[in-house]
Amino acid sequence: MAYNNVNFMRLLSEESSHSTVSSDSCEYYQTEIFDQLPSIQASRPEQSRQACEDYQGGSEAGEEVSHDSRGPKVKASTQPLRNLVMCIQGRRGVRDRRKMQISNIGFWESWRRSQSINRKRVWAQMGGTLSGLLPWQHTLHAIEGRFGVGVKAYFVFLRYLVYLNLLHCALIGGFVLGPTAFYGRGKNSEPLTFGGDDSVLDFFQGSGYLDRSPVFFGFYTPGSLNLQCLNTPLLYLTGILTILFLSLILVVRRTTVGYKHTWMLGKRHSMNVSYKIFCGWDFTIQDPPAAALKHSFIRNDLKLFLEEQSFSLREAQRTLGQRVRLYLLRFVLNLLVLTLLGGAFSLIYFATKTSQDERDHYWLVRLVIHYLPPITISFVNLLLPHIFRKISSFEDYSFTVQVNTLLVRSIFLKLASLGIYLFFIFTTIELNQQKNHFHCRENLFGREMYKLCIFNFLCTFCNAFLLNYPRKLLQEKYPSSLLAWLWRKQHFLIPFNVLDLVYSQTVCWVGVYYCPLLPLIGAVTLMATFYIQKFTVLRCCVAEQRMFRGSSSSVLFHFMLMLGLLMAAATLGFNLYEQEVTTGKNMSSCGPFGNGESVFNVTGVCVDSLPSPAQSTLRYLASAAFALPLILAEIILLTSYVSRGRANQKAIERLKDMLVMICAFPLQSSSDKRFLVKQHTTVLRRLRNPPRVRSAAIKEDVPLNH
Amino acid sequence: MGNKQTTFTDEQLEAFQDCTFFTRKEILRLHGRYRELAPHLVPLDYTNNPDIKVPLALIVTMPELKENPFRDRIVETFSEDGHGNLSFNDFVDMFSALCETSPRELKTIYAFKIYDFNRDSFICKDDMKRTLNKLTKGELTPEEVTLVCDKSIEEADLDGDSKLSFSDFENMVSKAPDFLSNFHVRI
Repeated sequence: MAYNNVNFMRLLSEESSHSTVSSDSCEYYQTEIFDQLPSIQASRPEQSRQACEDYQGGSEAGEEVSHDSRGPKVKASTQPLRNLVMCIQGRRGVRDRRKMQISNIGFWESWRRSQSINRKRVWAQMGGTLSGLLPWQHTLHAIEGRFGVGVKAYFVFLRYLVYLNLLHCALIGGFVLGPTAFYGRGKNSEPLTFGGDDSVLDFFQGSGYLDRSPVFFGFYTPGSLNLQCLNTPLLYLTGILTILFLSLILVVRRTTVGYKHTWMLGKRHSMNVSYKIFCGWDFTIQDPPAAALKHSFIRNDLKLFLEEQSFSLREAQRTLGQRVRLYLLRFVLNLLVLTLLGGAFSLIYFATKTSQDERDHYWLVRLVIHYLPPITISFVNLLLPHIFRKISSFEDYSFTVQVNTLLVRSIFLKLASLGIYLFFIFTTIELNQQKNHFHCRENLFGREMYKLCIFNFLCTFCNAFLLNYPRKLLQEKYPSSLLAWLWRKQHFLIPFNVLDLVYSQTVCWVGVYYCPLLPLIGAVTLMATFYIQKFTVLRCCVAEQRMFRGSSSSVLFHFMLMLGLLMAAATLGFNLYEQEVTTGKNMSSCGPFGNGESVFNVTGVCVDSLPSPAQSTLRYLASAAFALPLILAEIILLTSYVSRGRANQKAIERLKDMLVMICAFPLQSSSDKRFLVKQHTTVLRRLRNPPRVRSAAIKEDVPLNH
Repeated sequence: MGNKQTTFTDEQLEAFQDCTFFTRKEILRLHGRYRELAPHLVPLDYTNNPDIKVPLALIVTMPELKENPFRDRIVETFSEDGHGNLSFNDFVDMFSALCETSPRELKTIYAFKIYDFNRDSFICKDDMKRTLNKLTKGELTPEEVTLVCDKSIEEADLDGDSKLSFSDFENMVSKAPDFLSNFHVRI
């Protein structure tokens, strides 16, 4: 696109000096575009070959053929040699000529040029080494070669979450662990020793030793750092809020980048067959199994496209009676889905109620009862998506819509089950606290989140080593047995694995306020998950023959991540509000906000201590009088972006038309040419008037590669 | 420079470095690869620019090209005689145009030439059918192939002549997200 863009801009600069199209610019424009098109160059093959031959002798005549106007010559002398479209001898000739120019240009210019060349080489080298330093790069490369881009995207997402969690750990270290380590804890805090009642089970139940450790909220009592605006509670709160805010910015940025990418290609991208044909083959493939896999991907993708074509044909041919029956069926099936969800939620409620049972049992039974809610949630999340898949096969949608509905339902199931569970924990803890005063409500909540996190990891581990690996061994040793036939080889189902990752990250975010070391636990479990999944994929799975539609679903997953983050923020806000409201009834006596202090108390004290201009600014920012101008400003900004987007779209359409006009008319007479160019320049002049529009339209879109 | 090599003069290496996307070391390595395709044909000493061409049949046995369904077309496009016999200059030219640092415009031009089987500077329906058959190893039925090609031309053809000219092709490729990452050969 660069050649055409340069030409349009050239024409515009001519335009600024002349008001009408002169014959000069006409010839100039025409030769610019048409001489550089390979179609025209190819129609003079003898001449260009001849030119290449001549270059060996260094003759000047050859140059005239390819560059026979002033314009490209000016451009060619500044464009890097390598980018010129000619054979190597041609480039050698240009190089020699430039060298002669160099002696005319002078020492300074040539020195600058060689410096810029060296700098570019150094940058390229550095970039190469840096990208090789990224962790697990080699593994990702191997996985991409064997299983395709979709599976690699899962591992890239996992690595991104590891980075995110490590960032959270660093923030926690700075805001929470640091002040506690340096300035100590409160006077009447319990020492951290292995007491009488503690056992190894505490690591699984989150009670006893772990309850008093830095893992949970209750450990961080305010220590000797007691300034009005710089004390441990305020630092704790700031740390948590920074984590949530930073995560929001990062996730939103990733979502919008992915969304822009999908939107720019237009909704028809997944249907765009020409991409599949011309840009589908990966030229870097070297080993035969990867090549066979790629062939099958492309073939299946095309078959999918054809299937969707025939489906839309079928859909258009439905009679009214068939349509009514179909809609009725879909309505009934959706009711069924809602009923199943309701059943799942009530199951979770009963499990939560049972787990709060504090009667004395045998240690194993007690462990199972404690873990009953996570077990129920995992069971529900495992079973229900398969039932949903069965249901969606009756609903008669096209394949993509089927996959999307399944994904949306599974997402809703996972997030809603977590939300319902949090709600039930709140209410049961409230009830229990009114009955027998637990001394630390936040620790109980943190304990549940901790258990969820641990159990998720255990599930992944067991799935890999107790389910997939035996299945693979069975397939290898006794391939013809009945059990092997019933228990076929597993494909690596990308959407559901990504859903698991998002779910565990949401649990981390929800629990970070009550269990500050949860990001560290999360990071460690994610790294272990990477290696476990790598083992599963490379040893136990067969490559999925159907290609997974990468880009639009990645937007969906990032959107899911954002939803999880919003849920975490809502939970935190609700809990803080709850604390404020019930502060009279049951004072939480643990953690940084113990001893009757609440979050609002501490922040109020800090705000009061600020100088009065700062105070009044803060009060104004928090008041309603500021909200209205803020909303107005946002509306204005939004409108301007939308209108600019629309203008860009129009400009793109106009440029497309111009492209058609250029190509459609074989230029035969000079009057034809002049007429055409006049047409184009008037359109361009109109385009030029909103200057931002022009530059945005002509600037090349850089496609983003996830 | 470090080790003494007698394959190329310094001036030749400088010229290669400026005209391609390769460094001196890479050029020497490429010469080694070129030579191992036909050791009896390719001399070790290139200082006097010998006119040697390695035939197509040997070049497509390279591991970088072996699995590529378009290997024949790639080699033919970069050969001077159009039949796939590459001199060392053409060989270096080919890998330079297809390497990672090669710009989008250059790759688009060469991609168009590669997919243009009958070399009439248009990608007509027949060219597209041959591309598709090479891509799917002939596993689609002829009706399916026709359907896919028709839809593809319908999408990409801007000037309505039911074949793709270079600007149609360029326009289509500029919107494809993975053209640059797919269309490169690592050597």
